[in-house]
Amino acid sequence: MIDAEKLEILTESAKYDVSCSSSGSKRVNSAGGLGNASVGGICHSFTPDGRCISLLKILMSNDCIYDCEYCPNRRSADVRRATITPTEICELVIGFYQRNYIEGLFLSSAVFGTPDKTMELLIKTVEMLRREYRFNGYIHLKGIPHADDLLIMKAARLVDRMSFNVELPSEKSLKLLAPQKTKQSLLLPMKNLQNAITYDKVNKVRRKDAVIPAGQTTQMIIGASPETDGQILKLTEALYRNMGLKRVYYSSYIPVVQSNLLPTVGAGLLREHRLYQADWLIRFYGFDVNEIVDEGENLSQEYDPKCAWALRNMHLFPVEVNTAPLATLLRVPGIGAKSAYRIIEARKFGKLEFEHLVKMRVVLKRARHFITCKGKFYGVENINQVKNCLLLGDGGEVTEQLSMFSEKSVALSALTGEV
Amino acid sequence: MIFYICDGTPENFFTAVFDAYNTSECMITSDKELQLSLGCATVSVQTDLKKCERVRRGLKKYDKHAEEDILAALRSFNTNKEQICFLYIKRLLAHKKPIRNAFSLPEVVDLDTILHQITYEIHRFTGFLRFKETANGTFYAPYSPDNDITDLLMPHFAARFRAPFIIHDVKRKIAGLFNGNEWIMTYVGDAEICLSESERAFESLWKKYYKSVNIKERPHEKQMKGYMPVRYWKFLPEKNG
Repeated sequence: MIDAEKLEILTESAKYDVSCSSSGSKRVNSAGGLGNASVGGICHSFTPDGRCISLLKILMSNDCIYDCEYCPNRRSADVRRATITPTEICELVIGFYQRNYIEGLFLSSAVFGTPDKTMELLIKTVEMLRREYRFNGYIHLKGIPHADDLLIMKAARLVDRMSFNVELPSEKSLKLLAPQKTKQSLLLPMKNLQNAITYDKVNKVRRKDAVIPAGQTTQMIIGASPETDGQILKLTEALYRNMGLKRVYYSSYIPVVQSNLLPTVGAGLLREHRLYQADWLIRFYGFDVNEIVDEGENLSQEYDPKCAWALRNMHLFPVEVNTAPLATLLRVPGIGAKSAYRIIEARKFGKLEFEHLVKMRVVLKRARHFITCKGKFYGVENINQVKNCLLLGDGGEVTEQLSMFSEKSVALSALTGEV
Repeated sequence: MIFYICDGTPENFFTAVFDAYNTSECMITSDKELQLSLGCATVSVQTDLKKCERVRRGLKKYDKHAEEDILAALRSFNTNKEQICFLYIKRLLAHKKPIRNAFSLPEVVDLDTILHQITYEIHRFTGFLRFKETANGTFYAPYSPDNDITDLLMPHFAARFRAPFIIHDVKRKIAGLFNGNEWIMTYVGDAEICLSESERAFESLWKKYYKSVNIKERPHEKQMKGYMPVRYWKFLPEKNG
């Protein structure tokens, strides 16, 4: 069985990867096999930093040939090094899975030897899990940049999700901080995987043989380089639209590494939070990046992006809840996807009054300034007063991350299929 | 005010609905610690399968999912659950069409609330349940959920595991048993467990993992507790030592 110290080293090396979700795959158990995938994803525990544990997130090795400036495992760093074998990983996954500690495996690795050799060992591990241990739980595998295309395709047929991290929001920053990775080495495999997914869809390949049923994700570090939120979100939008990604994760920069090229202060959680809010607006609320923020600008710290947009567009409000179409309701600050759908359903049974919205537990702290119920307005008329009210109303959530699992939003996550 | 006192079974509850349907001021409850005020009468409901069937048929006639919803809601820990279900049934029978999405009606919101609590708790325990491997190879998971959900949780684990397992609700003293092929529910008081040789090793590796994966530089305990309420910690090895 795996040595506890190795587990510690390889977990600590892997923990800065933000991706945690186990959603998007409907893999079923096989006869005599172990495990399946739950399409909405399942969180198995939460750590004191407020993040969930869903998958066993671990590196196969942290002994890296690359020297990326921001990375705690870079070649020139003085840290404890460890490498584990495919068998050790398999035993750990099976042991943890049977006890319901985890939903599956998130396997990544530093590049040791060559990219191809590293990729081959990762494949050997997931192949062993699927074939010898007959494991049908969720596997998220990190792609190794510069690894052979065929190796990547082979891996994609075995796992539920793959990700290549774009790492930094611009090519210039990538050159400066991760000189051995190139834009092409990250974007090309993403494009290839997207093409393979499309091929399977068009040719109706059976689900159990299809490549990465849960799609691809990526991650970038925020605040280690000078890009604005506008640039970051523009890139995000392009990744969703052109690469068909399921999620883009943002990792607020934490100064764990000493370097002349890196800032000495962290980017803070609020910036990360605002980016995620904007990301949600793009994916589920029908917003274009251009509406949310200009390319050269950052998101407002005071107001969430939807509020900020509404305040810039007061001429569109108030809207009547009894007649506004779904797309319009979704743009009202304070009304989330779940509330919007509930309003649409409820008003089929009769006109809604303000009291009805209260009973339906629509959050009206912000929304009341932007809606009318049966023609009646319940908010404040003066825009400056509205701004003040909204500022006060936003006070509590300044340091909070998106609460994807708060009681109110579980139905929403089921609705959107993204947990 | 007349209180119809139920014994907790669905059949008894449906009988109570039949009996109470035309009573103007009444409540249905199975709460054993009910405090009666002056001028209240109580009726102890006697299960009558014919009455029960008539109510069930009435539900099916107007909304084919209503019975399923009511049966789920009756598992709630909420002491007001029978009354909430009763008012919902009355409203449905009066409306003669499905009302599940009429969120402007208080009856619908109340039922929706307790149903949501139940489905959310089931979802949470698909993640928070912890199995221990016993010496004979059976996996054993004790827990203490707010709502009576064990039989609703069994299919999830029966689909993914092949080894036999037991899910034990220690508060209600009931358990679901899976033999590797099919599962049943039964009463289980105290269980005596002899752990397998590797159990302790896996548990300590898990604790080590839990500690290592946390990012100390960005503490957010409030969020952790919001997602994973402290009352669930008792059975989580990572939160005990």
